Amino acid sequence: MIIESFKHNMAAHCESGTLTALIKHKGLEITEPMIFGLGSGLYFGYLSRTPNLSFPMFILRTKPGKLRKKIAKRTDIKFKTQRFKNKDKAEQELDRLIGIGIPVACQVDFYYMDYIPQWERVHANIHFITIVGKEGDEYLISDSYYPKLARIHKDKLRKARFAGGYLAPKGFMYYIESVPESIGYKKLVPLAIKNTINNMIGVQPPFIGVRGIRTFAKKLQGWPKLTRDIDHLSHEVMKINIFLEDQGTGGGGFRFLYATFLRQASEILNNNELDDMSKKMMEIGDGWRNISYFAAKIGKNRDLGPEKLQELGQMINERADAEENFYNELKTVVRNI
Amino acid sequence: MKEKDAYIDYEPQQLIMYVEKEDGTFGPIQTGSYITKNYLDDFWEKMLKLKNSLLEQLKKNEITPIYFYKLIHDFNDVELARRTGIPVFKVKRHQKVKLFRKIKLSDLCKYAYVFDVPVSNLFQAIVVEDNENKAETDASKQPILVKQTRTENPFVVITKIEVNKK
Repeated sequence: MIIESFKHNMAAHCESGTLTALIKHKGLEITEPMIFGLGSGLYFGYLSRTPNLSFPMFILRTKPGKLRKKIAKRTDIKFKTQRFKNKDKAEQELDRLIGIGIPVACQVDFYYMDYIPQWERVHANIHFITIVGKEGDEYLISDSYYPKLARIHKDKLRKARFAGGYLAPKGFMYYIESVPESIGYKKLVPLAIKNTINNMIGVQPPFIGVRGIRTFAKKLQGWPKLTRDIDHLSHEVMKINIFLEDQGTGGGGFRFLYATFLRQASEILNNNELDDMSKKMMEIGDGWRNISYFAAKIGKNRDLGPEKLQELGQMINERADAEENFYNELKTVVRNI
Repeated sequence: MKEKDAYIDYEPQQLIMYVEKEDGTFGPIQTGSYITKNYLDDFWEKMLKLKNSLLEQLKKNEITPIYFYKLIHDFNDVELARRTGIPVFKVKRHQKVKLFRKIKLSDLCKYAYVFDVPVSNLFQAIVVEDNENKAETDASKQPILVKQTRTENPFVVITKIEVNKK
């Protein structure tokens, strides 16, 4: 069976895309940038000492699951979440819900999504998909990163839902119980923006927010010492492009998505200053995109000497300066809403 | 980003980008992946080089199959330990050639499950000469297909080698 009423759409990011699709399915019209913005999803963190990571990495959005938790806290959308120890029970509950026509979001290890091209698939326990049907031994999947509905064998899905390791999904799934008739944007938009400002320029550890961007620029210079050979270094540097553009960011490391949120918020609140800020955020995103192009180019050419890494670090530092100014200005704008 | 600058013609990997459209509004477009379109060959070459180099070391008994697959899957010891449920100190031991011979079959099964390969593949490398050194993006397009099917016996897998008629 398949839940015919569910409308599959691609989205920029899996978590916000899944949330948006489920909320829309329940009858509340909302956009992905609005979900991302209201959930204060924008973030920056440079992780160099996480024991589970084989190489330092940077993150551009809040911890997986936080977006949903914030949306649940800030709006009257009611989510039902479940985790399982028993794999059979997890599958039975999933089947039961699909059987009564409820689309269910599941957290999975991205690697096992075998409908996605091989080169894209990496082990990451932070992917969200929506299960919208089952036919025989196959589940029908709505994945924000895939243009059409996909199919996955039940054994693969089980493996993906119960992969161990960092941020292990433990069979986590959720669905929406109820949505309000409308959302109080006037109150929520300033609250959500203030939260993002705090994440980026508030009192945070040195590896978080704008300080985290500067840490990234600095630590990048030491990457050659952490790699096996030039190919490994090239691979890691080229991943900067993937983290900024391809891994579900909507481009420019989520900055374009956030700019769109600010634009939509300015229209809802009829606030021209927010509109100006949205344009500035779009420009900041363009700067990140230039970084991703540059990283891909020097990685491909194996042009990874200290001067090039310094140049890349300089570009990243410029983004830190631009973002610091931006959030300080945004702080003033939000105070006046 | 302007809409016209965002379009990448690459069907195999599509994604959503948020852009400034012609009329000045901000919104999503569906486009192709820039890095995959321009640099996928480089990625496959690096992977092939890494695999071949690790295979050489494996053949010379300088590394263990656990180390081989750990690098291919980009795990570190802690992550591999958490995924397999095997303690970190044992995972470290299993990567030492001298100690690998003492590994338990039950531990091998746990590794094989996480590496998503049959347990027999931890003791063999299937190399098809026609496919070798081809940085092919899609395994199903290679001239020779190797299909491995699991059986009800967890230690036995059927390996079928056939010419790709596509």
